[in-house]
Amino acid sequence: MEFLVGLLIVMLVVVVAIWLFLAKQGDAHFRFIVVQRTDFTLKELSENTATFICTIPFINNGTQDGTLMDVYPRHLLPCEQFDAVDVDSRLTLDSANRNDGYWEAYIVPKGTGGAIYLTVKFTAKSGDIMTALKDMVDMPIDIVFQVVARSPWYIDKNRLVMTAGEIDNALAAGQQAAARQGEEI
Amino acid sequence: MTEQVLELIPVRTRILTEKNNIIDVIEQYAKNDIGPYDIVSVAESVVAITQGRFVRPEELTPSWLARLLCRFVPQKGSLSSVYGMQTAINAEGSWRVAWSMFLGMLGKLVGKNGLFYQLAGEQAALIDDVTGTMPPFDKCIVYGPDDPNGVAQAIKERLGCYGAVVADVNDLKRAAVLGVTQGVDPKEVARILIDNPFGNASQKTPIVIIKNYALAARKAATE
Repeated sequence: MEFLVGLLIVMLVVVVAIWLFLAKQGDAHFRFIVVQRTDFTLKELSENTATFICTIPFINNGTQDGTLMDVYPRHLLPCEQFDAVDVDSRLTLDSANRNDGYWEAYIVPKGTGGAIYLTVKFTAKSGDIMTALKDMVDMPIDIVFQVVARSPWYIDKNRLVMTAGEIDNALAAGQQAAARQGEEI
Repeated sequence: MTEQVLELIPVRTRILTEKNNIIDVIEQYAKNDIGPYDIVSVAESVVAITQGRFVRPEELTPSWLARLLCRFVPQKGSLSSVYGMQTAINAEGSWRVAWSMFLGMLGKLVGKNGLFYQLAGEQAALIDDVTGTMPPFDKCIVYGPDDPNGVAQAIKERLGCYGAVVADVNDLKRAAVLGVTQGVDPKEVARILIDNPFGNASQKTPIVIIKNYALAARKAATE
């Protein structure tokens, strides 16, 4: 009987020790720091399209390395709210700088991070893009990310809002820059 | 072996998938470059992919054992993720992996490292976790190839070369030959491939022809 009690105590101690080990070890934890993103700037402008870009930092502030297995943007512009443009959004790791919208699974060591480029392209459904974007509304964009680390995979998201004012400002600044270049030439 | 007559020729291919037959691919892309004195080497992860030996994490249900054991693997290891560990358990069995982990820990206590990988089976050492392979397989866990000796033999028979190997090579100066045809020294081939002529993933060169291997071996033997 004493032996069994002793064995039980030893097993209990082992279980508690493992539990403490796991609790201390923790896991990766990712966050896209949308409040630190740059303003959108005009990347390209044609008669019926306008493309904007911004940079968003991210961090793994957990206690373990983790893998961003997939990251993608989800823009939310229902036609009931605004129906003058089609939207295409994609992102890429800044160091990868891909333009195919494919996210290559990326290991992020604990305590480190990086940045992504988020590109949003508006295409006028009819007429020119400047007219189409005249009454543009604020548009939320979720940065959706899938994480694999010590624990089972999960999907999380952080939301930013691309404001109508920001789009106006970017368009104006882009046009001014283009005009200056034209004058210099 | 006399290095001067040896020449390493990486062969660029398209991205290979489970729909490709690796022997057909070698024939398609490299047949005209392969001679009777050459060795054809092919990357093990690409062989495994063409054999369909990969799995997405989403297709796995991690057991409590995988959740526990992965915690004891250093972070850089492929088995440090719960899905990497689950694939090892699926390939080698839960008892074998658990027992190897236990003995591996005891080994570390007495200063003997690497015992876990020695005991847990070949697949435990060959599994590539997500990010270990080029897109679109970067989101998959890739097992080691099945019957690498048979694959090497099939390459030799189809291409009429001196020999063939299935090799695991990386940029960290680590090279191992997993499958080999008779008459070829796997250690010598591993040494030849140590600088990773397969390149990194984006270079898409999963085949490397070791030109004139037989001539070099003959020359070395007579010197």
